[in-house]
Amino acid sequence: MEGIVLALLGVALAVGLSGIGSAIGVGLVGESAAGLVTEDPDKFGQTLLLQALPMTQGIYGLLTGLVIMINLGIFTGEVASLTVTEGLSMLMASLPVALVGFLSAIAQGRAAAAGIGLIAKRPEEMGKAITFAVMVETFAVFSVLVSLLLLLFM
Amino acid sequence: MTLARDTSFAYAVGRIRALETRLLDRSKLERMIDAASADEAIKILAETDYGSAVAELAAVHDFEEILQREMALTLAELEKMSPQKDLIALMRLRYDVLNLKILLKAKYLQVKAELLLPLGTVPLSTLQAMVDEERFRDLPGPLRSALDRIMEEFPLTRDPQMIDLALDRVLFEQLMAEAARLQSPFLKGLFARQIDLINLKTFIRVKRMERDRDFFKKAVLPGGRLPLDRLISLFDEPLDALHGQLSRTDYATLIEEGVRGWMEKGSSALLEKLADDYITTYLQRGKRSAFGPEPLIGYLWAKEIEVKNIRLILVGKINKLSADAIRERLRDVYL
Repeated sequence: MEGIVLALLGVALAVGLSGIGSAIGVGLVGESAAGLVTEDPDKFGQTLLLQALPMTQGIYGLLTGLVIMINLGIFTGEVASLTVTEGLSMLMASLPVALVGFLSAIAQGRAAAAGIGLIAKRPEEMGKAITFAVMVETFAVFSVLVSLLLLLFM
Repeated sequence: MTLARDTSFAYAVGRIRALETRLLDRSKLERMIDAASADEAIKILAETDYGSAVAELAAVHDFEEILQREMALTLAELEKMSPQKDLIALMRLRYDVLNLKILLKAKYLQVKAELLLPLGTVPLSTLQAMVDEERFRDLPGPLRSALDRIMEEFPLTRDPQMIDLALDRVLFEQLMAEAARLQSPFLKGLFARQIDLINLKTFIRVKRMERDRDFFKKAVLPGGRLPLDRLISLFDEPLDALHGQLSRTDYATLIEEGVRGWMEKGSSALLEKLADDYITTYLQRGKRSAFGPEPLIGYLWAKEIEVKNIRLILVGKINKLSADAIRERLRDVYL
């Protein structure tokens, strides 16, 4: 039965850490965007798109957390009984998305906030500003991929 | 206390990025230079962000008012958006010292105090009262003791240059101390470069005055990137030795062209321009950083240069200088 506590810790880390990362990233871009929109309100739409980019890590974390919860049978009312090893495995599976999600969301926030500066000067180059920030996404995708594969095929 | 985290500047940098797009670019300035008269040049200025201020202008000769107001507004805006107020206060300190120099010289030499700039941390009226009453209690410690020393020594030497030297020295001591307190290599680099440029100008000025090495030793400011003893030891050698010795530093072209210009034309104008351009190049890193104080300090400098350029052009136009003569002195723009 102790295994379940470890599995729940996995849920908390996956959702929590990647969520914190996304919150910091989105907040940072928001600050930058607020600065630009103060001077140039017409750029609101463009900045909003950039601000949304670091949100995905939080979504990947949420997804991973939900998969663990489904595996545990939390939604069916019959919570599975887990050994410590089984619980620890789920905790380990949550770590890629928790750690990479946390840090990549902040890094993506910085890249996107720098992109705000780019569209301030060259609004026509918004695609490039987005591309730079999206590059960071690659690593968040890798991590959620590994987390989910571990949970589904283990 | 150290400088705030670089990301805490995100909002300010976002605003700066938008404000930078409204700075006058080279082509606008060129059009003003090519204008037929000062009135025409002002009309071109009216098409820019200065438009509303220009509209209220009664006569061309009052343009100085617009420029001062623009600087005051810029400083106030930067102060509001900066996550750290004392950063901008630090940049205002230079104006306090400038005003004190003018007021003290006016007091001692019995002339009218002109060209005061209401851009410092202390209001002009307060400064005026302080100088009148010779009480500097409310000023920061080092500045106060420097002023007390001037008050004691000036009546003996009656050398107005001493006021400049003592105040410049205490200003840069203060700036370097603040840069160290904020643990900012960027600010330290800026002030160290400004000290070097002042020292190089002093070097040539003192040499042209044919004063001796001891005088230079007293005038030179510590804290720059060029070692002081090297500068002082170069002083007794001919001027050529200066660019020989400094040819590997990044001051090489500045010294070569600027000093030659000074020697040939007897005017420091070119050196002053090159010195400003040198600082512009250093601060242009602010254009590329998405966080941190660099964009704020860079923008402030960009405005100072812009105002300087507008003044150069308008004064040139009013005095009917040729376009080339104006262009020669025009500072590189930050953009």
